[in-house]
Amino acid sequence: MSTINLRVWLIIPDAEAATVKNTLIRRMGCGDILADVKKERLFSIDVDSGDPEVLAKAFAKELVNENKESHKVLIDTLSFEGAYVPVKVSLHIEDGEAISTRDRLRNRLGFKNVMSVKKATIWKLYLKGDDKERAAKEIAEGLLINPHKDSYEILSLAEDASLSR
Amino acid sequence: MKIAVMQFPGTNCEYECLVSAREVGMAGELFRWNRPAAEMSAFDGFIVPGGWSYADRIRAGAIASKEPVMDALREEAAKGKPIIGICNGFQILVESGLLPGTSGNGKVEMALAQNVMISNKKIVRRGYYVDWVTIRHDASPRRCSGSFDINKGELLQIPIAHGEGNLVTMEKGLIQKLNDEGQVVFRYCDSSGRTIPEFPVNVNGSTENIAGICNPEGNVLGMMPHPERAFFNWQLPPHDPRKHQMGAVGPGRKIFESMKRYIEARA
Repeated sequence: MSTINLRVWLIIPDAEAATVKNTLIRRMGCGDILADVKKERLFSIDVDSGDPEVLAKAFAKELVNENKESHKVLIDTLSFEGAYVPVKVSLHIEDGEAISTRDRLRNRLGFKNVMSVKKATIWKLYLKGDDKERAAKEIAEGLLINPHKDSYEILSLAEDASLSR
Repeated sequence: MKIAVMQFPGTNCEYECLVSAREVGMAGELFRWNRPAAEMSAFDGFIVPGGWSYADRIRAGAIASKEPVMDALREEAAKGKPIIGICNGFQILVESGLLPGTSGNGKVEMALAQNVMISNKKIVRRGYYVDWVTIRHDASPRRCSGSFDINKGELLQIPIAHGEGNLVTMEKGLIQKLNDEGQVVFRYCDSSGRTIPEFPVNVNGSTENIAGICNPEGNVLGMMPHPERAFFNWQLPPHDPRKHQMGAVGPGRKIFESMKRYIEARA
């Protein structure tokens, strides 16, 4: 079993990330802890056979729109680079879009080795100050999630281990 | 009697709400989100219409709920003024903690999550859905500002158009509390008033078929269906006999009439 992590980001301006940044700074008083916000989509696809590198290329063809997006593939690991804190937000209730993506890959496109698909948004928070974990937690709980349907995880830089939930 | 119809970037049906308010005898005007919030105190009631405020970025209603104008709306709500949130307006009121408002401290107590249509225990459809639905009024008359003049058990046919109306909560005992306190105002039902928990009666998978709730005081109502799209009889679907009846009115009119009656009763 391998997990193919597909990190996908816009190469055109990301209006949603800009709105989140504006709201945090202008409306929620985060100007002294937040410098910038960027966003990625993350697909984590479990496959039970096949060459993950080859499969990843095929999946990217289906899940990434190269006219406006770029992507990076990571097999059995998830790491991030750069001076930001990655916050992973996903649904803790049933994720219909993830199920639809799995069904599309398995049933319509014939990738019978796809066992499951998980989908998340990675918010890349460029934070100021020393206590970045606390700042990320405040931002996640203040805006990025609704706890009645979303959960979040603060991922450590260049690591696949989480700092907190 | 003067009503403000709130307008955020991406709001829709604000003009229909305004026409509906005026038709039942309330004066009204649009209130843009970036207008000085202090001016809100001059109004007797508020409607937060549907749409896609801020293009539903992050999730429906989340960004609008952080606008300064919402702090002013909380203050007006605390004065007992009626507020009706329709569709995206309901989502904004939930995200701002105004609904269900049982904590009293602005805590977000529930979410309006993505629609999940379930039939025979299987998911048959997801996502955005548009249809005419029947809702049953489950609160007592005079319990809630937006259903002040509607009898308990009365059925209304009103259209929906949303992708995120599935009411979910992680708060233990909250749904029971809403039931016990009469805060569940509307439920999706069939044409006989039965609240069958499956699609197509429960159009979005909402807990206990809930289509609308009010705050503990009853002055703030949130509902997913669009009463302003069923205000006049000519807005009704072709199969509805009232559509061509002289003098007939749309069922959505009762929501706006209720708001007016509520304001009159408070005066």
